Amino acid sequence: MEHSNVTVASSRLMAAGAAILGTSVFADSGLEHYRGSFRNPGMVLPIATSAIAVPLNMRRSMGSAARPGLGRAVDLVASIVGMAGFGFHLRNIGREPGGFRLINLFYKAPLGAPGAMVLTGLLGRASRRLQLGRPSPFTAKAFGAITVAGLVGTVAEAGLLHFRGAFHNPAMWLPLAVPPLASLSFARDLALGQPTGATRMLLGATAGLGLVGSAFHAYGIARNMGGWRNWRQNILAGPPLPAPPSFTGLAIAALGVMLLLPKRRRHD
Amino acid sequence: MTDPYPDYDVLDKRDTPSWNDKTREVVDQRMSLTESSHALDAAQLATLRRLVSRLTPQPEQRAPANTVAIVLQKIDANASDGYRLAGMPQVRECWCKGLDAIREEAIKRHGLPFADLDDETADALLRTIENGETSPEVWTDFSSKQFWTWRILPDVVSAHWSHPSLWSAMGFGGPASPRGYVRLDANRRDGWEAREETDG
Amino acid sequence: MAEASDSVRCAGGRAPDVFSTEGWVPMNEYGEDEVDFVIVGTGAGGAPLAAKLAEAGFSVIAMDAGPFWRPLSDFASDEMHQSKLYWTDERIVDGENPIHMGANNSGRSVGGSTVHFAMVSLRFRPEHFKTRTKLGYGVDWPIDWQEMWDYYREVEQELHISGPVRYPWGPKRPRYPLRPHPLNAAAHHLVRGAEGLGIDWTETPLATLSAPVGKAHPCVYRGFCVTGCSTNAKQSALVTWIPRALKAGAEIRDLAMVGKIECNARGRASGVHYHRNGEWHFQKARNVVVAGYAVETPRLLLNSANGDHPEGLANSSGLLGKNLMVQLNQAAWGQAEEEIRSYKAPPSLAITEHWNYCDEGKDYFGGWTYMSQGPLPTKWATSLAGGRKLWGRPLLEEMERANHSVGLKMVGEVLPHEDNRVTLSDETDQHGLRIPRITFSLRDNEKAMIRHALDFMQSSLEASGARDIWKETDDTCHLGGTARMGDDPATSVVNADCRSWDIPNLWVCDGSVFPTVGGVNPSLTIQAIACRTADRIVEMGRKGEL
Repeated sequence: MEHSNVTVASSRLMAAGAAILGTSVFADSGLEHYRGSFRNPGMVLPIATSAIAVPLNMRRSMGSAARPGLGRAVDLVASIVGMAGFGFHLRNIGREPGGFRLINLFYKAPLGAPGAMVLTGLLGRASRRLQLGRPSPFTAKAFGAITVAGLVGTVAEAGLLHFRGAFHNPAMWLPLAVPPLASLSFARDLALGQPTGATRMLLGATAGLGLVGSAFHAYGIARNMGGWRNWRQNILAGPPLPAPPSFTGLAIAALGVMLLLPKRRRHD
Repeated sequence: MTDPYPDYDVLDKRDTPSWNDKTREVVDQRMSLTESSHALDAAQLATLRRLVSRLTPQPEQRAPANTVAIVLQKIDANASDGYRLAGMPQVRECWCKGLDAIREEAIKRHGLPFADLDDETADALLRTIENGETSPEVWTDFSSKQFWTWRILPDVVSAHWSHPSLWSAMGFGGPASPRGYVRLDANRRDGWEAREETDG
Repeated sequence: MAEASDSVRCAGGRAPDVFSTEGWVPMNEYGEDEVDFVIVGTGAGGAPLAAKLAEAGFSVIAMDAGPFWRPLSDFASDEMHQSKLYWTDERIVDGENPIHMGANNSGRSVGGSTVHFAMVSLRFRPEHFKTRTKLGYGVDWPIDWQEMWDYYREVEQELHISGPVRYPWGPKRPRYPLRPHPLNAAAHHLVRGAEGLGIDWTETPLATLSAPVGKAHPCVYRGFCVTGCSTNAKQSALVTWIPRALKAGAEIRDLAMVGKIECNARGRASGVHYHRNGEWHFQKARNVVVAGYAVETPRLLLNSANGDHPEGLANSSGLLGKNLMVQLNQAAWGQAEEEIRSYKAPPSLAITEHWNYCDEGKDYFGGWTYMSQGPLPTKWATSLAGGRKLWGRPLLEEMERANHSVGLKMVGEVLPHEDNRVTLSDETDQHGLRIPRITFSLRDNEKAMIRHALDFMQSSLEASGARDIWKETDDTCHLGGTARMGDDPATSVVNADCRSWDIPNLWVCDGSVFPTVGGVNPSLTIQAIACRTADRIVEMGRKGEL
């Protein structure tokens, strides 16, 4: 009985993570694709998909199940849209003058961003799997691997874009310090099959950092010429407001996976 | 050619973050300049008006630019650009003498002051001035070609294109501070830039 | 609030705070007491020197004929109004190719022409410091490139240059402090052209911020760079070295036109006569540094002639004012199918230095670079009127195609020639000072370079898909050379430390000291020379050699 409670809690946390990640995708792709003038009709897809995936995962996080067919379809579509987005972004950069030079990785369609859409689908599916039944010993490792991959990708993206900003504020190193430590610690727990308090603390810090990051980005926008009064420019030209909570979503999902690991017994 | 930006007026942005106080002040001041001059006499002023109308026509369906007034401000202030060709006098004196010479050249060739020439004859005479094929006895202080190259073209053309109507007609973004631009790629524009009317 | 151009702002123990709309920062004032250094000019040469000398503990007064602006509130987004940044006092130009002065090459503000420069911040090719020895033309600099590499670094750090992560040409250089700006559509044409022609290109190292620094905002891509940056993203001397100088205790005297350097009976400079607030004053100084750029510097030294120096100060070589160099600034322009809208972003975002580093197949000496362009309306209209002889309806119609126009512009090396020079005219200015006469003619070498460059830039535009290509054959930029540095008092005006050979406490520190100008924009090199000069002065001071 206790085990199934844990499974439910884990499912809920993973759905909450998916919902937060989806919200970040919704707002970020909305802004970025608005900047890109929606020149390809496909650019509305991540917005539309996340607009459906977010409420779905919110409901899951509250323990209620959507119609199973719909849920599966949404998770699947999210992953496919994310993969397709990655393909489109890759192709677009290849076609830019200068191709895959750093300048285009800095300023053109971000390669990492569509990954968050894929992850939203995967985490949603994972949450649903846990709703349905008892996890196999392999499940925790598989779901853990997904969140670790997500964290690593997000760290890479933050690293690239913070390098573009020349780390002008020392706080810009934080996403390159805290989430990698959390990922490492989490990966170790997964490998050993035992949760540690350190990992929980680091994942908690990563989740918090996602929110603090948005606050920092809001400050960054204010530092641009005209500040928030010039929001039509600065919300696009300044640091992306909705991007950092990706960390929050992934860290919460990872905390959910942590619940599936057997508790360490004292004096073992 | 029809105006490629019919639904764009750079002045619509006057009260947006694209314009700062200083810009509003200097553009307002320029647009309110009138054609009064203490430096030019009536004949010189008439010559200048005709010259400006042939050299820098007004864009259609736009508020006309007060180009003559803007040029006059420079002449009256005797405002130097920071250099002048050896042998040429300072701005005010140069314009007075040059305008007199244009008028005289027209009278000599066509029996009419430049201001009264029809468009075709006026343009032909301006080409003569541009190429320096004018009467040496009329152009004693400097050649008509020098006057054309060093005074007429830079002064009149830069005055004309300092007026917002011309910015609108060419689809120029116009003043941009504090708000600049986000979309820099080809065929991309921000919501506050001119939309180009394409064929069809 | 009064325009800065009308009234002195540096007074009462304070100077304008350039990072505010109407604020002030405290400023030291020395009155008319003798100071260690009077620096005439506060641009790329004078400003770094003022900052570094003041930091070393010297008493420094830096004077500028121009006003002290607060960019955030004083600068309009308007080409015509912003001509207030240019040196527009009368100057006579002649020769076969009279130079257009003013906007192109002369500033009149605290901060000098860096207030309206295009921010292109390039290092010389190392061989260009020794063109005579290494490449067989021109004259060698008395300074080695390795030493300059360190000073370039110092300036790049101070100006937070944004540049490419890897620079394709020349010896390894440290990473630029900030990352490059995104490319605009005009820059993409340079990129596609270069790739089509099989040469390297890169993002231009620019002195405008790609990330916030201190109180300065990052660039908003408003495109009015060469008419003055109203956001402080541009790292002009006004917002970098000058605040540093003030903080270190230097005094800035704005709207102070120096008319004459006074010498004492011992043959040393004793101070400067300057005009401010409607009257002449005298400032005593133990050292005088002239940093007025390649026209005003020789003009002041020539105007300061006295019984001991009848041909002007520091002119025993007879070279003062001679070897005036500009840089070639010809362009190729075309029309693109797509909308370019080159009014957005800094004008020169992409560059190739290929022809600075490659000498193969040239039928001339020297190097050149070219960059993408973004002319504003009056600049573009006058270019079309002058370059293509358009007026009337054809000009209006061509201007309506401006958003599809795209171009490449060169910065090319001009060789020193004694007949290209600055002398004094008999005409006097509002202060009764004789005005300069600037004589310049292109020689065969420059003409051959222009031919090559225009053809090459045309090929690039063709390769990037532009049509209706035309060549703007007549434009120049930048100045240099009228008080050249060297190893020999007979063939130079100052030594490697920018110290005049004739008068030991008289210095020249600006682009005038360039023996050759290389094929890159000069501002970074001028500032690097100024930093070196400051270090040398500090060292000499320590050794008691001043």
